[in-house]
Amino acid sequence: MSAAAALPRRAAAPSSAGTLAGFGPSVRFILRRNWLRLLVWAVVLALMIPIVYTSQQAAFPTQADRNAYANVANTPAIAAMTGLPYAAGSLGGILVIKIWMTLAVALGLASIFLVARNGRADEEAGRTELLRGTALGRHAFSLANYAVAGGLCVVTGLLISLLALQDGLPAAGSWVLGGSVAGVGLAFVGIAAPCGQLSSTGRGANSLGVAVLAVTYLVRAVGDVNAGGTQVTALSWFSPIGWGQNMRPFAQDTWWPFLALLALAAAGCLLALGIESRRDVGLGLVAAGRGPARATAFLASPLGLSLRLQRATLISWLCGAVVAGLFFGGVAKAMTTVLDPSNAYAQAFLGGSRTLLDGVLGTFVLFIGLLAGAFAVQSLSGARAEESGGRLEPQLAGSLARSRWLGAHVAVAAGGSAAMLVLGGWLAGVSSDGAATAPALAGAALAYWPAVLVMMGVLLFLHGFAPRLGTGLGWAVYGISVVVAMFGPLLSLSDSAIKATPFGAVPRMPADGFALPPLLLLASIALVLGILGMRRFSTRDIMPE
Amino acid sequence: MSPTIPAIEVSGLRKRFGRTTALDGLDLRVERGAVAGFLGPNGAGKSTTIRILLGLMRSDGGSATLLGGDPWHDAVALHRRLAYVPGDVSLWPNLTGGQAIDILSRLRGGVDKARRDGLLDRFGLDPTKKARSYSKGNRQKVALVAALASDAELLVLDEPTSGLDPLMEGVFTDCIREAKAQGRSVLLSSHIFAEVEKLCDTVTIIREGRTVESGRLDELRHLHRTTISVVLDRDAAILASVPGVNELVADGAKATFTVGGAELGGVLAAVASYSPRQLVSSPPSLEELFLRHYGAVDAAAPARTAGVR
Repeated sequence: MSAAAALPRRAAAPSSAGTLAGFGPSVRFILRRNWLRLLVWAVVLALMIPIVYTSQQAAFPTQADRNAYANVANTPAIAAMTGLPYAAGSLGGILVIKIWMTLAVALGLASIFLVARNGRADEEAGRTELLRGTALGRHAFSLANYAVAGGLCVVTGLLISLLALQDGLPAAGSWVLGGSVAGVGLAFVGIAAPCGQLSSTGRGANSLGVAVLAVTYLVRAVGDVNAGGTQVTALSWFSPIGWGQNMRPFAQDTWWPFLALLALAAAGCLLALGIESRRDVGLGLVAAGRGPARATAFLASPLGLSLRLQRATLISWLCGAVVAGLFFGGVAKAMTTVLDPSNAYAQAFLGGSRTLLDGVLGTFVLFIGLLAGAFAVQSLSGARAEESGGRLEPQLAGSLARSRWLGAHVAVAAGGSAAMLVLGGWLAGVSSDGAATAPALAGAALAYWPAVLVMMGVLLFLHGFAPRLGTGLGWAVYGISVVVAMFGPLLSLSDSAIKATPFGAVPRMPADGFALPPLLLLASIALVLGILGMRRFSTRDIMPE
Repeated sequence: MSPTIPAIEVSGLRKRFGRTTALDGLDLRVERGAVAGFLGPNGAGKSTTIRILLGLMRSDGGSATLLGGDPWHDAVALHRRLAYVPGDVSLWPNLTGGQAIDILSRLRGGVDKARRDGLLDRFGLDPTKKARSYSKGNRQKVALVAALASDAELLVLDEPTSGLDPLMEGVFTDCIREAKAQGRSVLLSSHIFAEVEKLCDTVTIIREGRTVESGRLDELRHLHRTTISVVLDRDAAILASVPGVNELVADGAKATFTVGGAELGGVLAAVASYSPRQLVSSPPSLEELFLRHYGAVDAAAPARTAGVR
């Protein structure tokens, strides 16, 4: 016994416990590096429950209001975006319609980002190699990573359930509500885990995970649009988001899809650990290929290099705009046959536009604008990444002015976002089958360009004055702008408050008429922020991490 | 440009990062056509000085002149005439080494294709591999090839051989000698004494952001003591009575001691009268010069630094 205690490592080595040696310290280490991030995700998501519940209680104070809403709630737009409204006659059901999809998708994204950040991104940076050089089992760190992300899902789900109970919602439904959101989050831990093993970069792992999430979202959207009444279609069962939806909190309160979500999480993690046993540290499953020995003259120009570095990002976002445009246009057509434009409740939901169809199209065009904004933020974050990664210094040690280098990145972000807007709007018009013309929707989408430019202005300003915080703060500003533009009415914000944010300020064509002043104002703000940021960048120290 | 203007002239350079003083009145001079060694331990301020010289950072005081121009205001024009190799080279992981060389070279004005290919060959670098798969040494080679393939008048090299194997260090030494023969100026920051001794005409040693010693290497040596080892025909302890002999360690007939430049003649005359059978004289090595400024306070230094921050 004493001999075994003296040689614990040797005794453990042949068993599978050897590959998990150091699991506990790894969990603590990951928590230490991510505690604030985890806390923000859990608290912000869970707090949406009381906030939205209160606003919906105010919007539908009597059972008669809710019954009236239930009669008109089942539109293709709601089915496509937030799922089938199967219990719109109860406050719990309305809460699910308004917030469930947002919570589930957000927690899914949180899982993907966390797993990639602590997994592949660390490995890419060489930090995993440093850890694996110690007495750490082969799978200990990866499993700890999955466990922490899974822990976030469980805690967030519990908080959601407790806050729902606190609001006086039915107990069974409250637990299913938290369980269904947590389950979707866990399923995406299981999806993100193999993504991190397959891709050889942190960014690639993120993109792959987000792409899978987008596909699962669209699969269930198509399924829900084609549903008869609130009867779920077979297609919805091909998406883990669909499984979570069909736990149906505050209606049937079904628990068995939760087991399917858990099984997916476990299978995904096991698959990832299996791949990990078979591959070398630092490499993906796909070996890096060779490339050209020479750079073309264009690649060696600042604009060419910026375009090349962002090629994959640009192409995937353009594809996103194409898919979104075609999808939105196609759904809009379905609505023309279903919706009754004279219905007051339906009109209220879509913001008092002249016709319901225009209101829906206005909302869809806003989405395309938000997508373009996200691309612009990510694209300009790439400029900071060049600086923090130490790749800017050798370029500036060449005969390259700082303004020219940053200008190239601005050009890619501005040009790429404009292309996304025109392409997305145009294709929405084309696929709308006569609901709106292609040039009209392309124009309506392009009206969001000044708002996108404001996002770029914010990023440039931060890049100049607070480079180390720039990327994080930039995404925070974007996130707040999105929440206000999309959920402003839901959060009981006044119209003037919504119009004071970049995406809220843009007239929601075709529902609203065109108005030049807000666009000019946005463009001026963007210009001032951009110039201030550029000037500061030209006079500050270069700061690699 | 008149040849009397030095390639680099820095005096009283100061730079602070928050409450930390990185440079505290640093002086540095690199003559045209000379190879200048720039020595100091980690954190002494070598890279900060170089970043200021490249216009990547602004100084808080003092003056810096690069090829007769202002490194901050004339950065773009000056950088056509210099090439820089950082100590820790970061490359774009999804571009090949060859592409990175061309990008960096074109930012300097152009690529001499023949010279580039010659250097790739000498350094044994495969330009078709993605930078992601390069080791540290190979990334270093990318930056070296890009810099050496240029026509730059001035090479600014920040620990350029870190990660290179001894064979490649030899290639690097040859390349720098060629650059010197072509009349280029070189600032070589380094930890490797042998490399600096081999290549450099002048040496600047810095410590905590200040220049503690600078001049031609032979002059510096002259200021310091030569080490002499002898074997006599009698007990070597007798040398203790010879004026000018310092740090004597005698072991039977063998002895090792140091002598200042001025006393060398008298000491050798005295030794000659004891019929030496063997005599080896070694000038002070750069390492000894360096350690003279650091060795004595090595133990105290970390504590002091921690106290300041």
